[in-house]
Amino acid sequence: MPSTQSPPLLGGAIDPTAVRPPIDDALIERIEPAQLHARLVQLKSEGYTMLLDVGAVDYPQRAPRFDVVYHLLKMPVRKSSVKEVGSPQRLRLLCGVPAEKTSLPTATDLWLSADWAEREIFDLFGITFDGHPDMRRIQMPNDWEGYPLRKDYPLRGPARERSPRPSFALKSNVNAGTPPSGRTLEALQAQIAKARAEDGKA
Amino acid sequence: MSISATPLTPEVVSKDGNAMVLSMGPQHPSTHGVLQIMLEIEGENIVKAEPEIGYLHTGIEKNAENQFWSTAQTNVERMDYLAPSNNALCYALAVEKLLGITNDIPERASLIRVLNSELTRIASHCVWLGTGGIDLGALSVFFYTFDLRENILDMQEAAGGARMHPNYIRVGGVNGDLPDGYMDRLNAFIEKFPGRMRDLRALLQANPILQDRMIDVGIMTPEEAVQWNITGPSLRASGIAYDVRKAYPYCGFETYDFDVPTREEGDSYARFLVRLDEMEESHRIIKQVRDRLQKTHGPVAIDNAKVVAPPKETIALSMEALIHHFKIMTEGFRVPPGDVYQATESPRGELAYYIVSDGGNRPYRIRTRPPSMYNLQALKGMGPGNLIADLVVMIGSLDPVFGEVDR
Repeated sequence: MPSTQSPPLLGGAIDPTAVRPPIDDALIERIEPAQLHARLVQLKSEGYTMLLDVGAVDYPQRAPRFDVVYHLLKMPVRKSSVKEVGSPQRLRLLCGVPAEKTSLPTATDLWLSADWAEREIFDLFGITFDGHPDMRRIQMPNDWEGYPLRKDYPLRGPARERSPRPSFALKSNVNAGTPPSGRTLEALQAQIAKARAEDGKA
Repeated sequence: MSISATPLTPEVVSKDGNAMVLSMGPQHPSTHGVLQIMLEIEGENIVKAEPEIGYLHTGIEKNAENQFWSTAQTNVERMDYLAPSNNALCYALAVEKLLGITNDIPERASLIRVLNSELTRIASHCVWLGTGGIDLGALSVFFYTFDLRENILDMQEAAGGARMHPNYIRVGGVNGDLPDGYMDRLNAFIEKFPGRMRDLRALLQANPILQDRMIDVGIMTPEEAVQWNITGPSLRASGIAYDVRKAYPYCGFETYDFDVPTREEGDSYARFLVRLDEMEESHRIIKQVRDRLQKTHGPVAIDNAKVVAPPKETIALSMEALIHHFKIMTEGFRVPPGDVYQATESPRGELAYYIVSDGGNRPYRIRTRPPSMYNLQALKGMGPGNLIADLVVMIGSLDPVFGEVDR
C-alpha cells in the first residue's frame, strides 16, 4: 500500500529481548519452530495448564524476523483457595519465526484459548498456524490487504484527493470584517451571493 | 466442546436439516457494545455460537508504537474504557520495571494508585450491574448503580481533570496530589456505599426472576475455565481463587486486608455474586487507603526530572526545570531496551502488558493481554445447548468491554 508517511525509525538494539537479564517473575525460554509443539505438549504435562496469552513482535532487521511469545501459567485445575493457588509459576516461551517461512504449528489442540490469539497474530502479523481450524482475520475486515502490526506497514493510508472547495468558501473571497454599515450578516450574505454568481458564470 | 472446522459466515443462511444460521448483533442492545454472534440454532436451542469481533478495532497497539512513552498511556487508557485507571496503572508499572524505578515510587503515590484502581473497579462493576440488570428486565437497578458510579467519576474528575479518562496515574507516580476537598468526597462515598449495596442486594440477590434467569446458566467447571483461559471474577466464580493482587502483589496490595470472594457453582449467578462481593472488598481496601492517606504525606511522583516533568511552579524559577520540562514534552523520555510482562487485576481479570523497548523514546511494541477477549471467547464453549435468551445472560455475566476486546 502506498504511504504518505515513512515507517517508524528502528532503534539501535535489534533484539531487545536478549540485551538484559529478565526483570519480571517469569521463566524465559527460547525455542525453534521445529521443537515448539513438542515443547508445548511437554510443558502442559508439566503443569502449565493455562495459556495466558500469545502475542507477536516484529524485528525487521533481525533474523528470524518475528517473535511469537507464549505466556504460560501453572494454574491448578480444581477448586482451590488463595493459599493453594499461591503465586503460580509463569513461563514465557519465545519462538523466532523467519520471514521466509511465516508459519507455526497451532496450539489449539492443547488449549482452546489459543484460537483467537492465533487468529489475531495471523491478522496483524501474517503468521499462519498450521492445523488451526479457522484461520481467518479477526480484527480487520476479511478482504483487508497487508498486516497492520508489521513494522513496515504504514501508520496512515494514502492521502485522499480533496474535493475542490466552492469559491464562496474560500477565505480570500470573503471579507469577514465588520462593514461600515455595521450589518455583518447582511454584508456576508451579499458577498456569498456575489461569489456564487461568479461560480455560475464560470 | 471443540472448535469446528467450518466457520459460520453471514453467507450461510441455513444448514442441513432443521438448523438455521442467525446473526445476532452487531447492533443489539444486549451485546454490550458491537459484538456480532453467528448462531446456529435449532428452534430456540443454540447448536453453535461463534462470536465475531473486530467492529471496534481502532489499532490502539499500532498507534501506541508511534507515540512517546508518556503519550502512549493516553492510548492504552482507552482500551478498557470502563476502568481506565487500571489500564494506566498496569502500563505505568510495566514501564517502571523497564526503567528500573519500581522501588523508588513514593508511598503516597502507591496509595493513590491503589485508591484509584479500586474506585474504578467499583465504577466498572456498577456499569456491569446496571446494564446486566437491564438485560434481565430489571431497569431500576441502572439508576442506583449509575448514581454510585457518578460519585466516583466526580472524584476522578477532581483528581485527574477528566471524568472518563483521567490520565491521572503516570509513569513515575501520579499527576499531582489529591485536590482540596477530595477526602470529604471520599468519606461521603465510603459512608454512602454500604447502604447502596444493601439496596442493590435487596433489589436483586433474592429476586426469584433474576435467580430463574441466572442459576445454572452458562456453567463453567474449573477445568473448562482454565482451558478457556478465563481470569478475574469469572474464574473465581468457578472456584479458583486466583487474583493477581494476591498472587503477584503490586503497589503494596500484600499489606491490605481483603478477601478474594469465590463461589463453587460456576454459573452466571455465581459470577454475579462474586462481583457483588468484590465491590464490598474494594470498599474495604478503600477504607484502609483512606486511613493511610491521612497519615502519609510527601511527594506523589519520583524525584527524577529525566522521567517525570518537574512541577509547573518551578518552571518560572529554575532554568533546569524549564529545560527538563521542554525535553520531556518535546521528545519524551528514553527507556532502556528489554522486554517485560506486567500483570494486574483489572475488573475483568488478568490485564497484562507485554512491552518491548528498543531503547528509544517510543514503545517498540505493546502487546495487551486482554482479559475481556479471552473471557468472551468462552461463549463458544458456553453457548451450545442453551437457549438464545440465556446467551444474553451469559454475555452479561462475562462482562466484556469492546474497547479492550477489539483494541
